[in-house]
Amino acid sequence: MGFPVSLRIDDPVVADETAKETAKETAKETAEATGDAVFAWLRAVDERFSPFKPDSEVSRYDRGELAADELSADLVHVLDICERYRAATGGAFDVRLPGRGLDPCAVVKGWSVQRAAELLTSAGLSRFCLNAGGDVVVSGGPWRVGVRHPELADRLCAVLDLTDAAVATSARYERGDHILDGRTGRPVTGIDSLTVVAPTLTEADTVATAAFALGADGVEWAAAQEGCEVYAVLPGGRVLRSGGFPTADAAAA
Amino acid sequence: MKRALPVLVLSVAGLIPVWRYAPSTGTTSTTEAVSTPPASSSGSSSSSTSASGSPVFTGTTVTTEKGDVQVQVTYDGDKITAVKMLKQPNHPQTTAAVPKLIAETLTAQSADIDAVSGATLTSDGYKESLQAAIDAKGA
Repeated sequence: MGFPVSLRIDDPVVADETAKETAKETAKETAEATGDAVFAWLRAVDERFSPFKPDSEVSRYDRGELAADELSADLVHVLDICERYRAATGGAFDVRLPGRGLDPCAVVKGWSVQRAAELLTSAGLSRFCLNAGGDVVVSGGPWRVGVRHPELADRLCAVLDLTDAAVATSARYERGDHILDGRTGRPVTGIDSLTVVAPTLTEADTVATAAFALGADGVEWAAAQEGCEVYAVLPGGRVLRSGGFPTADAAAA
Repeated sequence: MKRALPVLVLSVAGLIPVWRYAPSTGTTSTTEAVSTPPASSSGSSSSSTSASGSPVFTGTTVTTEKGDVQVQVTYDGDKITAVKMLKQPNHPQTTAAVPKLIAETLTAQSADIDAVSGATLTSDGYKESLQAAIDAKGA
């Protein structure tokens, strides 16, 4: 997968200048150790689930070297999510496209980064911002998260005000037309960029990718998913967003 | 500086039909079957009146914006044992509420932010990205 990961931990003790040195040191060590654990976990996930690594569990399963009942609980869980969204989109979202190998990356990414965020939470950290290749999980806001403008890489098209939430964006700009509609096998062109805010990144990322695969109909579909708010840029610069999409007050921007 | 954006609220009112069940208007057998469960002694197979066995009632057709709705209800005593849709709108959105979407115009803005959500960044794309600038500032 190979995406850049940024982690910022702002827990009160770490950030508090007046805190006792020993307490600060301990908190800092915890934060650093947990940060290391996050990166180690994400690297391990890449080894296990990358379809581009011939020795990964995904590749071995795809080649028939592993039977379905030999898979790890994590991969079974990921494949269950893939199947649920394939059914929910009438086959538009499909990790087994004809002529291509099994590629559950869209679900693996959101799920693994969500699990990384849970590592931070279970270590007692309560205020952090984790950005893994444009997929963002925040805890203990207020956090301000921008949505990249689909045409102007150094500008934003929306700014979100978040406390505890996950944000994922699917778009055509970074890697071209890489999302295919499983119903037709053709690249999706009905949406330029689609952002989903949800309670977890597993939901946000999967819903964003699945909605993108549905094309223009995907905006309404995503907005109807429980707990999800959506912001979509359509060709021609038209924007559709759901009523609860948490855009920051324009005056504060 | 504030700019007014044209906002259009797409009306999706009425996409959620209210399905009303209207029982067929008061025949005597209807009233008796609903209000009086048959006594167990009279419930033997010899009792052949359909009204005291498993009465089936058909509601009147109700016209909604999305089409006609008609239900059939089967009773066992005073319990409903089956409800069948005889007529229902052939419309995929009859089961789920459709959220309102708000239409806006795309704007390009700059703001002080903590993170950027975007499509999967490659390592090369990252170097040029807003997120890289944020990380450099914090490091």
